[in-house]
Order: sequence, then C-alpha cells, then structure tokens
Amino acid sequence: MTTPDPSIPHPTPPPAPAADAEASSPAAGSSLPHTVPQKIFFGLAQWAGYALGFLVLLTLTFAALRIPPLHAFRALWMGAFGDAASGHLYPISETLVETSPLLLTGLGVVVAWRAGMFSIGGEGQLLMGALAATALARYGAHALPAPLLTVLMLVAAMFAGALWGLLAGWLRVRRNVQEVISTIMLNYIALYLVGGMVVGPLQEAARRGPQSDPLPDAILFARLLPPAWSGGMTTRLHSGVLLALVAVLVVWAYLFRTKSGFALRVTGQNAEAARVARFPVARLQMQAMGLSGALCGLAGAVELLGVAGRLDASFSPGWGYTAIPVALLGGLHPVGALVSALFFGALTAGSGNLSRFSGVSSVLIYVIQAAAVLAVVGARAWQAHRSGTDAD
Amino acid sequence: MRPTMQADSRQPTDNATVPPTSSATPPNPPDRTDAASGWLTLRGIGKRYGATVALDGVDLEVRAGEIHALLGENGAGKSTLMHVLAGLTEPDAGTITLAGHTVSIANPRAARRLGIAMVHQHFTLVPAFTVAENLALDAGGFRRWGRYDAHQAAASALERARALGWNLDGASRIANLSVGAQQRVEIVKALATDARILIFDEPTAVLAGDEVEELFGVLRRLRDQGCAVILIAHKLAEILAVADRVTVLRRGKRVASCLVADTDARQLAAWMVGSAPVSLPVSTSPANAPDPADPLPVSQPSPNVADLGAQPVGVNPALTATSLILRGDRGEIVLRDLSLAARPGEIYGIGGVDGNGQVELAEALAGLRPPVSGALMWNGQPFTPDVSVRTAYIPQDRRRAGLAVTMSVEDNLLFEAVGDPQYRFGPFLRRGRLRRLAQDLIEKFDIRTPTAALPASALSGGNQQKIVVARALRHAPDWIVAMNPTRGLDIGATRFVHDQLRQARARGATIVLITTDLDELAALADRAAILAWGTLTDFEVGAGDATQLGLLLGGMERGKAGDVMDAAESKP
Repeated sequence: MTTPDPSIPHPTPPPAPAADAEASSPAAGSSLPHTVPQKIFFGLAQWAGYALGFLVLLTLTFAALRIPPLHAFRALWMGAFGDAASGHLYPISETLVETSPLLLTGLGVVVAWRAGMFSIGGEGQLLMGALAATALARYGAHALPAPLLTVLMLVAAMFAGALWGLLAGWLRVRRNVQEVISTIMLNYIALYLVGGMVVGPLQEAARRGPQSDPLPDAILFARLLPPAWSGGMTTRLHSGVLLALVAVLVVWAYLFRTKSGFALRVTGQNAEAARVARFPVARLQMQAMGLSGALCGLAGAVELLGVAGRLDASFSPGWGYTAIPVALLGGLHPVGALVSALFFGALTAGSGNLSRFSGVSSVLIYVIQAAAVLAVVGARAWQAHRSGTDAD
Repeated sequence: MRPTMQADSRQPTDNATVPPTSSATPPNPPDRTDAASGWLTLRGIGKRYGATVALDGVDLEVRAGEIHALLGENGAGKSTLMHVLAGLTEPDAGTITLAGHTVSIANPRAARRLGIAMVHQHFTLVPAFTVAENLALDAGGFRRWGRYDAHQAAASALERARALGWNLDGASRIANLSVGAQQRVEIVKALATDARILIFDEPTAVLAGDEVEELFGVLRRLRDQGCAVILIAHKLAEILAVADRVTVLRRGKRVASCLVADTDARQLAAWMVGSAPVSLPVSTSPANAPDPADPLPVSQPSPNVADLGAQPVGVNPALTATSLILRGDRGEIVLRDLSLAARPGEIYGIGGVDGNGQVELAEALAGLRPPVSGALMWNGQPFTPDVSVRTAYIPQDRRRAGLAVTMSVEDNLLFEAVGDPQYRFGPFLRRGRLRRLAQDLIEKFDIRTPTAALPASALSGGNQQKIVVARALRHAPDWIVAMNPTRGLDIGATRFVHDQLRQARARGATIVLITTDLDELAALADRAAILAWGTLTDFEVGAGDATQLGLLLGGMERGKAGDVMDAAESKP
C-alpha cells in the first residue's frame, strides 16, 4: 500500500523484518519478490505441501481398503518410475506415454479457461480429432506418402477439434448458450458419432468388432527408446510425446508473449474491462475455443498414431475430463499443466502396477486422482483462508 | 457474555444524556465522563499483509449513542480496522473490549453475536432474490423444518424498517431496485440481527443528494436509539454534518480523535493528508455542503498546475454529437435526440444523478457504443476512436470496467499499449519495452505499489484509479471522456486526477466530464449541463448559483427518492 514516510516521526521504530525491508524500497526494482527463482521456490514449497496432504489422504484410503500403505506406495512408485538408476526405463516411459494425452488436453483447458470459457469439451474434441485422422488414413492411405499422411492426419485432427470447439464458442458468442452445457452435449455427439463410424464406414474389413482397421505401421509415430535401454522390453514411448512438449512452449508463448494472448487473459479475468479497452471480446472467446479444440483434437491424433494404432468405440478413458483437474492443479499455466500432467501420468502408470500387486480393481486410480485433487483444493482453500483477501 | 452485553446495550447509560431526535443539527454528544465512555474499545490493533503494514497499533474508543466517523485517505486502514471489528479480518495484535469485557471476534458470526454489524460499500445482497428472501437469509428462516417462509422470517426485519420510516416491499426483487433502495435493504439486514454497533463503509458513495440527507436522518435515529454508529467517510462535509466524534487514521495509525464540535474541515483535512498544512481555499460547493462556507479542498487546482481555465469562446467545437439515440444493455432506448458539442481546451461538464443514461452517453462518446441513430463527428469527419483521433475513456467503475484486478499492476497498465506496433516484434510482445513503459507510468502517475508484479487488487482504490487514469492519458489523447473519475477517492488522489485533467485541458485536449459530484463539476468544468430525463440543460458554472443548480437537480430527483415500492415500479 504505502511506504513509511521518513518525514513522519515514529514514536517507536517500526518492525523491519526482511520482507518489510524489501517492500520499503519499491523504487529499486520492478519485480522484487517475483523473480523467477523465487517463483520456482514458492511453487516447489507449495507443491511439497500438496504432496504431503495427498500422501495423508492416500494413506487413509489404503488403510480403508486394507492394503498395507507402505507396500501400496512402493507399488505405485515402481509402476510409475521403477528403478531408473539401473537403466530400466520401462516404467518411466509408461508414465510419459500416459502423460501426453493429458498434457495436450490439459493445455486445451488452460487456453479456454484463461479466456473465461469454461469448456468441458476436451473429450469430444479429442474424439473428433481421432475420428478425422482415422477417416483421412482410411481414404487417403493409398494416395499419399507415409510421412505426409501422418502430418495431414495431425492437421486434420486439429481442424476437427477446433471445429468442435468453435461450435460451442459460436453458440456462446452469438446465442449466449452456456459453453459448459453445450460442450458436454457435443461430447456425447462425438462419442456416439465415433461409436457409429466404427461399426459403419470406418469398421475394420473383417467386420468383427466395433473398431477400425489398424493403421499401417509406416504412418505411426517412431518409437523413441530402443529395447536395450529398457531391460529388453519394447516400450510405447513415441515421438508424439515430444509434440506435447512443444505444445507447452507454444501455448506459453501465445498466452504470455503475444498481443492476442494478453487480450485473451484480460477477457477471461474481466470481459467488461476488455471490451472497454477495445479488445475484440467475442473474437477472442472464439479464438480460445478454437485453439483449445485444436489442442484436444491433436491429443486424439497423437494417441491414435502413437499408442492405439486404430480407432475403437472406447478410444478414450476420459482424458478430456481428467484434463480439467490437470489444468486446474497446474494453476491454468502451461508449465504447471506439464507438472500436473506428469503427476497424473505417473499415477495412471503406477496404479496399473498397484492393481496387479494388490488385486484391487484399477478403478482405484480414480480414487487416487480424486484424493490428489482434494488435497490441492483443500490446501488452496486453507491458504486463501489464511492470507485473507482484504485491501483498504 | 451475551446476556451482560445485551443488558448493557439495550439501555446504554448514554441514552439519558442524548436529547430527543433533532433532524437537522447534531445533538450534543454523549457525556464524556459517563460510565459508558469507551463502551467499545480497540487497543493497539495491528495487522500486516505480507510486507504491508495496514494497521500499526491503532486505538479506537466508541460510545453507545454516538455517530463516530472514521476518516482517512484510501489505504489509511479504515476498512481494515472495521473488518477486524466485524470479524472479517483477524488482527495480528491488540485487544477489543466491549462493555468492560475483553472479547475475541474470530469470524462474522461472533461479531453478530456481539451485536456488531457492517453495512458494506459493495452490497452483499442476492440480486435474484426478493427483499424478504434476502432478509430471511440472515434471520435464519432457512433452518426451521427444512422449509421456510421468507416473509415470516423477514417479518421482524421489515418491522424494524418501518420503525426507521421505510416501507420496504418484501416481494420486490433486489435486481429491480435502485441503488439507494438496495442500500436500505442492506441496512435493514444489518439491523435485523439485533445490532448495537453498526459500521457503515462509505455509505454515501452510491447515493444522490437527498438520499444522503435521508440516510443521515436514519443514522441519527439509530444513534438516538442507543446504537453506536461508526461511519467510514471521505467527505469532510458529511462528517461535519452528521458525526458526533471523529477519529482520523493515516497510514495505519491513529492521528487524532476528537469531538466534531471541536474541529473544522481545515483541521480534519490537515490530519488526514499529513503534517504539511493543506491550503484550503473556500469553494463554491453548492449542493452537498450544509454549511456554505465549508471548505472542500478537492475543488481547487494545486499551485503547480498551469490552470489556463476556459479557452476563448470562439474556438470551433472539435466533437459534435447530433440527435443521438442510444440503447441500454437490455435494448431499451435510454437517450433520445441528444446533441452536444465540445471544444478543444475546454472541459465540458455533464452533471446529474446516476441512471439518467450517463453510462450509455459516455460509452457512445468514447466510441464503445454505436448509436442507434445520430452522428458523432470529430472536426467535421466521422468519429472513429483512435483512428480519427487519439481517444481516452475513463470508465466510472474501475473494478467492473477498468481493471482486471487479478492481473498484475504492470499488465493492467498495458491494456492499450499491447496494441501499439512499437511494443511488438512480429506477433510477439516486446516485454522489456512494455515493462519500462509500465515503470514510467508508475512513476509519472505516482502509483504506490511495492512492485509492478503485485495483483491490482492489492492496491488501494486511489492507486487503482491512478492505473486507469495513467492508461487513459499515457499517449496525450486529444479527446477524453471521463466518467466519475474520482468516485470513492480521497483528497490527495482526487486532486491528482483533477490536475491531470487540467493539464490535458491546458494541452488543448477536448474533454467531456460526466459526474454525479457537483463539487467536481464546479471545480473543473468550463461549461456545464445537467442530464436529466434524457435532456441536457445548460447552465453557467460561474454565474449559476447554488439555488439554480439545486433546482435543476431537485427537479430531476422527483420519483427517485421514493420508497422501495416506487423504485420497483419505476423499473419493472
């Protein structure tokens, strides 16, 4: 607020701990307590707190399920990270494979929610992306060379996802239909559209199950890890993971280093102020929905080309929904989304191992994810309560 | 604790010494030697937010049956102190004594049990609910048998309202009420909890002239019923008019506390802004001041501003608006066939009470609201903001339309700059240049913040407004639309904003000032008009005396000062 005026005599010397000394020389620098190292430090301290709360909740969960907590934690850890020091990289590769769809859809949520568009449509956009890519492969495979087809499939998936997002954006901007509702409805349309296509035009030639033919190996993503590095096991780690990492950078640069990213953030925080500042609010909201949809659509194609290799009726285990806690735990920041996507990816990989170890159903992962979200939400609420929100 | 409290509070010994209600002049303050003196006592209250010291060992004594004004600049700690009392903020240090008992007020519920209630500046009503439902929320009507009758739950509150002379219609929806009527509901809601200590946070900021007088009448009635009324205020004239005692805070410390009768505006202003004596020229404040000679220092320019005053009359208008028809947000026509002309080097003031189409007019003049019909011309060319002329708009509500308070001070200073090619490299922003621009603006406009990275919400209202003003005036605009640019600001910040507008005028900018504050109009405008019932009525600032202005406004306020039912009917 104000700094002590030297001309006013203090009856007693004012308390001057370190933090105060910093703030009383505001002219010195533009951003004293907000340097990047400090941000990182506080971020890490915060996450350490979340982790503690998470472990406590998880211990209680395990105890309730009569699983010895220490063994359970060990199984989780081995499944997610394994014994990396000995050169056995398979568990980590699994974690990364599970991370990439969550990261791409999580970034999609970051972009939309930053613009104040509370899109729940990641799931539908992902499915539309996978569907468009599959259709292109089905009808274009013979006409196009392999690397070009792969690229076109990615582009088609982004367009399809963007279209699905823009539909909800248009309904909001022009017809004031709440995007929370419309995106959920569009998710169902996409889900049953995929379900229909894989028993219809896109069904495998053998026409046995609700799935498409496997894509030709030539157009799939390359495997990154030679089996020698992972104890002789073939890993699923594919080059699409790198694509997700690039997307982190792109989204960060867009949000924090471009004019429309800036305007988009203002719009999300206060649309009225954005309008008064002559930002094109409606266009920015559409843009956010389009970009968000493109990222989620890309997630679908990446999963198709990197892991699944074919489209089927149960293509996604709900990545587009898990993306929301991923983005929220990451503080709606692309780098934060990377950290929390890794966390969720590790949980997914680890809980697979845990269910093999304990015989508990693998739906336990949802319990664990919920515990993580509760830990963070609770910790944040506690922080907000402690710090108060008062200014004169 | 509670029985003692209530026994004490229901019949405060002070009551005996308080003369019966007198509507115009404040009665004698309660006897200071009375046993009830220091009925509510705050001792050494301290509160820090991180590195910021909001309260630094503040003392405060409030008696039952008095109106105690709390005066100070934005950021002086008034609101924080009252939030401590209302249980909204936990103090780091200090004790609170009520009727001889030390109490701890951990949360608003504890405050309520002690009979402390706060009427907030930003209302805490549910807009979609009716008056009765809002009152029932606090009366606890929801808890009985899982069902509730809002009217029954609110009955006692509505009864209290009648005791204050208000006939509230329980069935009116809050969203349909005028601001003044909403405030009445807010006050009744506070009273509904058997409150004996009532805190009003700048209650007059949202009210028009005669609504203020009516509110003051209610404050006096509450005082005479034995309540302790604490009034957070900015306007000296109001404190002199209604308060019995006043405590002045500055930078988190108590500067002075005394009987209002023992002080004057000059002294209060000096305490409020600091040790340096403030020059307080006598102003011509026409409407609000009960005492014609009451000095209102905000009205005069600082000596360091070259105040050229009005330009020669012969100058051609730069902006002309002809036959504007404007729609409101809900599609209703709010202004019909309105014309005006503004000249360079001149401040054209438009006064009037809120809700007469000012917002729509301001937005149209700023190029943000295309008129349904009519023409806006700039020097004979069609007006397009920032294309035909550098345009600045200071919106009336900084938190709603001016700032994204969750974003940093720096970001908030850059809304317009990011569109400027000199701050971009291809699609990317030049963060270094932008950061320097923000630093320049922070220094030039004296925005007090420890760092530019702090969220704008952490700043005081005055400093938030400086962000809005800095953004508007950063590129020396030729066309300025300012709407209530000093609402809720203290003397220092008000003077700063006024000086900025005067400097722009001296530069030759064309300025339209739309304000509900007649003192501001008198202080700044070279030419002025009152906007009422959709028409502009010119009046001469110099020659127009208070009576004339009062008549203009008085005519306009017909139907605005009615009770809630009137207001509800007028806005279906």
